[in-house]
Amino acid sequence: MLHLLKIDLKKMTSYRTFWVIGGLYFITLGLGAASGMEFLKWIARTFEDFGQKININRIPLYHFPDVWMNLIWCAGLLKIVLGVLIVISITNEYTYRTVRQNIIDGLSRQQFLLSKIITNALLSLVSVVMIFVIGLVTGMIYSPSLEIKQMLTDLEFFPAYFLELFYFLSFALMLGILIQRAGLTIILLLLFPAIEAIIAAKVDNYLPEIIPFFPMRSIWYLIPWPFPRYAFQEIQDYLKLSSIAIVLGWTLLFNYASYLKLKKADI
Amino acid sequence: MEAVLSIKNLTKHFGRIKAVNNLSLEVKPGQVFGMLGPNGSGKTTTLGMLMGVVNPTAGEFAWFGEPPTHHIRKKIGAVLEHPIFYPYLSGQKNLELNAMIKQCPEANIPKVLELVELYERKDDKYRTYSLGMKQRLAIASALLNDPTVLILDEPTNGLDPMGIAEIRELIKKIAANGKTIILASHLLDEVQKVCTHFAVLKRGNLVHVGPVNEVGRGEETVEVAASVENLNEILLAFAGTSSISRENGSYQVAMREGFHSVDLNKFLFEKGVVASHLITKKKTLEKQFLEILAGS
Repeated sequence: MLHLLKIDLKKMTSYRTFWVIGGLYFITLGLGAASGMEFLKWIARTFEDFGQKININRIPLYHFPDVWMNLIWCAGLLKIVLGVLIVISITNEYTYRTVRQNIIDGLSRQQFLLSKIITNALLSLVSVVMIFVIGLVTGMIYSPSLEIKQMLTDLEFFPAYFLELFYFLSFALMLGILIQRAGLTIILLLLFPAIEAIIAAKVDNYLPEIIPFFPMRSIWYLIPWPFPRYAFQEIQDYLKLSSIAIVLGWTLLFNYASYLKLKKADI
Repeated sequence: MEAVLSIKNLTKHFGRIKAVNNLSLEVKPGQVFGMLGPNGSGKTTTLGMLMGVVNPTAGEFAWFGEPPTHHIRKKIGAVLEHPIFYPYLSGQKNLELNAMIKQCPEANIPKVLELVELYERKDDKYRTYSLGMKQRLAIASALLNDPTVLILDEPTNGLDPMGIAEIRELIKKIAANGKTIILASHLLDEVQKVCTHFAVLKRGNLVHVGPVNEVGRGEETVEVAASVENLNEILLAFAGTSSISRENGSYQVAMREGFHSVDLNKFLFEKGVVASHLITKKKTLEKQFLEILAGS
């Protein structure tokens, strides 16, 4: 396993695009996560222009435990960047035909796929750790009191965040293996949520109960939008087993589809 | 001696096209085995199946008497079609990656780079290499794990005459070390110069297999010239003549089986004719190849 991960990392770490995209991703993640207060101030100013005053100190964006879910939900928006990175990594193997040479040189097709899947898991894990550290630091700065119980609340969203990323990268990997061309795959990856939303809007009129099963929607149900709670609305601040099962199901399905395609294809 | 490679009824169809049809053959240790055939005759598809990148439609093959696995592929050095490497990595890093895949020590890298004379350029990116250098890096990569079998598919494709000569010398050098080499090519001259055995494919079918040194056997052609008016009549009178033709002022005499140029020379001398020019022409691989293709 570790051997396969090393092989894939060796390919990626000497590739400049990897560092550019990866660097941009983590910088945006860091800056974005740290600039929530600025965002709140901007909202406050906008409201003031309309003659309303809101006290931003009463919005506990960075207080434990709110900080966890807020950060995780926002960070989820950036997963597309990691997705593009994975698409480039896999479609390069087809453009350069190196997947063929890797197999000639002695990797099995399963091992080749596994090396990519393990990299997906590693990138997801790095993101999780990063968000955890940012959350911990900002939480400690802004929280009025540091109670262990508060700090430990909602931590179950981190495994969910990991699942969200790993699921999405599995999707990107599968698209790359099926389409094999970088441009087309990236466009499809970007458009897919929109296409799904249009279909969902139609389906909503007839069979609304199947919408939680839609691949992109399933993430919404796993990690819900947390901000309505500041408008005194109830949000789902726990993990639903059914949502986990659906996202996990899609993840397995995506990777299995990659496996089948790779196994049957003449490379 | 156990076969390095034995292929039984290997078949590959791409839709309606039969790329490889019921191919069976054996390669023994130490052979330099040439696979000949026009473009599109199924050579690369066959090698692709042997190296696990093309799924056979039917049939089977065994390396060293064992069914193929990816572990066996690590012990086979192969370059199919063109060299394939990561263009953004240096030659050195590409080989490091290959060493990881083949699970062999990185200490082998300088050795193979020296062999193909790329050591000076090892830290330059692969995409800056010339075609000849790319081909040589591919051979270096194939040799990395000190394989017992080497598969080379058109290794001199697109090279200039000097590059071709370099690669040919390299192949001879490697063959001299006792490695089994499978060489696919449509350059017959190349195969005749380096191979011990050869097979001919035509539209996916095996139409001939045998040793290269048998090519020269069989009927000879003798080119004769002499300053005698009725040379053609004398030649026709010779019992060993099967047919004659005139070309560039000399006669080409196709001999019957069992007759050689010595016999003809003796016959002419007995007739009081002294030949001013007498050359025994053995069949070249090229000629035999064309005959095989035409006859099948």
